[in-house]
Amino acid sequence: MSRRKFWRALAGLSAATELGARRTVLASPPTGTGDPDPSALLPKLLNRITFGLNQTDLAAAAQRGYSGYIDYQLDYQNIADTSMPSRLRFLTTLAMAPVDLYAMSSGQVLTELIDATIIRAIFSQRQLYERMVEFWTDHFNIDIQNGQARYLKTVDDRDVIRPNALGFFPQLLAASVASPAMMYYLDNALSTAGAINENYARELMELHTLGVDGGYSQRDVNEVARCLTGWGAYPYVVGDPLSGTLRFRPEMHDNGSKLVLGHVIPEGGGQNDAAMVVQILANHPSTAMFIARKLCKRFLSYTPPDGVVKSVAAVYTATGGDIKAMVRKVLAPEHLADAPLKFKRPLHACVSALRSLSAECLAGGPIRQQLQLAGHVPMSWGPPDGYPDSIDFWSGLILPRWNYGALMVAGSLAGVTVNPGTLFAGLTTADQIVSRLNSLMFGGGMPESDAAALRAYLAPDPTSLQLQKDTIGLAVASPGFQWY
Amino acid sequence: MNPEACTGCAEYSELSRRGFLQAAAGAGAAAAVLPAWLPRVALAESHRSSMRDVLVCVFLRGAADGLTMCVPHGDSGYYAARPTIAVARPDQTTISSRCIDLDGFFGLPPAMAPLLPAYTDEKLLIVHACGIINSDTRSHFDAQRFIESGTGGEIPTASGWLGRHLAVTGPSRPGSLLRGVGISMGLQRSLYGGPSTIAVPDLANFGLAGAQSTVAARQEVLRTMHDQVADPLRSTSDITLATIDLLRQINFSTYQPAGGATYQNVAFATALKSTAALIKADIGVEAVAIDYTGWDTHANHGTAAGGWLYNLLYTLSYNLAAFYRDMTAATAPNFVVLVMSEFGRRVAQNGSGGTDHGHGGAMLALGNAIRGGRVVRDWPGLHTDQLFEGLDLQVTIDYRDILAEIVQFRLGNYELGTVFPGYDATFRGVTI
Repeated sequence: MSRRKFWRALAGLSAATELGARRTVLASPPTGTGDPDPSALLPKLLNRITFGLNQTDLAAAAQRGYSGYIDYQLDYQNIADTSMPSRLRFLTTLAMAPVDLYAMSSGQVLTELIDATIIRAIFSQRQLYERMVEFWTDHFNIDIQNGQARYLKTVDDRDVIRPNALGFFPQLLAASVASPAMMYYLDNALSTAGAINENYARELMELHTLGVDGGYSQRDVNEVARCLTGWGAYPYVVGDPLSGTLRFRPEMHDNGSKLVLGHVIPEGGGQNDAAMVVQILANHPSTAMFIARKLCKRFLSYTPPDGVVKSVAAVYTATGGDIKAMVRKVLAPEHLADAPLKFKRPLHACVSALRSLSAECLAGGPIRQQLQLAGHVPMSWGPPDGYPDSIDFWSGLILPRWNYGALMVAGSLAGVTVNPGTLFAGLTTADQIVSRLNSLMFGGGMPESDAAALRAYLAPDPTSLQLQKDTIGLAVASPGFQWY
Repeated sequence: MNPEACTGCAEYSELSRRGFLQAAAGAGAAAAVLPAWLPRVALAESHRSSMRDVLVCVFLRGAADGLTMCVPHGDSGYYAARPTIAVARPDQTTISSRCIDLDGFFGLPPAMAPLLPAYTDEKLLIVHACGIINSDTRSHFDAQRFIESGTGGEIPTASGWLGRHLAVTGPSRPGSLLRGVGISMGLQRSLYGGPSTIAVPDLANFGLAGAQSTVAARQEVLRTMHDQVADPLRSTSDITLATIDLLRQINFSTYQPAGGATYQNVAFATALKSTAALIKADIGVEAVAIDYTGWDTHANHGTAAGGWLYNLLYTLSYNLAAFYRDMTAATAPNFVVLVMSEFGRRVAQNGSGGTDHGHGGAMLALGNAIRGGRVVRDWPGLHTDQLFEGLDLQVTIDYRDILAEIVQFRLGNYELGTVFPGYDATFRGVTI
């Protein structure tokens, strides 16, 4: 290939990836002439909208059908989720007011939120909801190890992300703009009239709404920063319930007129400037496209087809940013049928193993430590763009994925129990045991190359507890299990 | 189950095909799989396995303030724009924390004093008003991508400049199983597409967990399973298994730096120290990428005597100086350390004693064969009418000018059109 041709091939990169995607589709069984048969897609659906297959969810999905199960998951408030209160009972800081959080050690506060996130991912029945919480946590990233966020991310998670994760995007955006943790993390708390700090204004447009190519200029960054001057949070004063809550200081606000993305914001707007910025950004067509593409990337493909993205953006526009309606559109069976596999990020890979193996996990700590080795502790990504959703980034380090399965079954992770005796009760041959792992972990889709290697490993002594444990660990480490 | 082709898959396979052909032509039959017993690791008896320098790329993530890293004390615009955070001129002898003059116009801030010996030895080069020449982005994420891809953002590419460099050259040590290392939780974009390249968060701890009685057998099962899948998992697995074997033979915990060099006990320092051990072990590693995060100093820079930026620059300089001493006090392979960031920061300080995103920045090159002791620049000036968009230091030297020259003369790779496609580099005489 000549150099010129080579670089021309590069320019067509996304096209090449789309070809790859189509190949994958062709490899799955033909579904006849008309629409894909949604019931055949159930394992795939569950892989996409949960933190990993398990038998209970598979049975529930089979009963409700494809769209019935999506509706059930979207209506998350009506899923009882009875075990969560007791599983989270010891994490006392989750419900605390900012002033009380400030009185705790920051290490305890942030650790409890991280551990709660892990426990919810494993055990919550509201799986799609938790996946959306994860999505928005990445989108409105706040590094929990950063300054005031060590205390206040708990409030952001509880009062901004979780109540709005399946609500309406404009409300979610408005809540995030009013989040003290965000005010501190991106320095808006320091931005005042005549002495602006443009950090937040830029990321608000680049990362939260319009996207980097969404059509804003340096002038817009400056003007949005002016609109947001004066907003911050009350500093911690022992016993003062205002501590760490949103504060507007009119004397610090730039009350002149502004021009944001072509919209005049008249002088004297005060607090209302921020509301106008939220409205301008939420109504901007670039925001609809940016959010739509990101949702499609998360649930469908690293390179979602433009037509699908546009159809989801149209739902955003038609519904005023109804997140449930967008998710429903993204997950339409014809979209999912065409969706190529994606590479699990470490949290997903680790939790999916625990879920499919019906593991007990009494506390988040041991899993948190494994995720630290894999670079994916919840809410701990430093820069404001959130953990990457990309195979190029995550496929460079697979050793932790090989290790946590082995550690789980070895009993090396305190409070984590995987019980081969229960999983393989009554099974005596390598074939039976690997078949059981196939149905538990893969919904029957374990690649034959992985299955053959596992059978060969187990064959010399299929009832040996050590070999059974090793086989589970190897199944967790297997290449096929890294995809969803 | 057919995993989705990785982003840029076609590009990768083209790169690896070219790399393979090149390796086959250059190294002949020696490029066979290396038996597990073969790597002979001897820390003391170092010898040069090739004429190529080992490249260490340090990326200061968050946009490092070039105007503090290398202070333009001869430009009055600097002091006008930064009333409270500027580093004082060298002749302001009443101020104890003032900059150390380098050439009558630029100076090092006190935090970077540890690097003065390397500068005086003419092994440390500073490049100023440096960046991506045709870009106007102030987005961290775009700018990092543009720089690490090696294209300035003008040509869409999924691979990185270092990855392509490795791909179009044969291994410097025939049969080398580990050529590129990203000391990171995920591979740095500059290394994307590199053959025998892997992310290793901690070089001292890279092994298979679980029952040790079955570890060898389990390793074989992992090998078998991954042998039957596509890249990137297959190649990552190959390299992971090889790296486990290779790194097991280097005792990082007892590594003694040469020349009395001491490293601090922080992540960045540990990465540099382990890199020194890795390079001296001479197992064929050609490129190491190290991230140093936390440079997005929007508020409270601090002063020349202490604070956020001071601490970052001190940690950077102290440990780079230790690395320099460690690598030059005893015989070791030649090396080049490149220190870069996505862009510089706003010339004027902001309302919170910090600086917002800017444009031109500074870059460092440190190594045995660097023609240092100079600040290479085409200084555009810091008065408002001289600034990019009236705000920022202009870029007058493209970062690829520096990288390309090092790639050609120190890494022996003349395929600059592949490493930096679409860019015609101007050499600035940075190597000897």
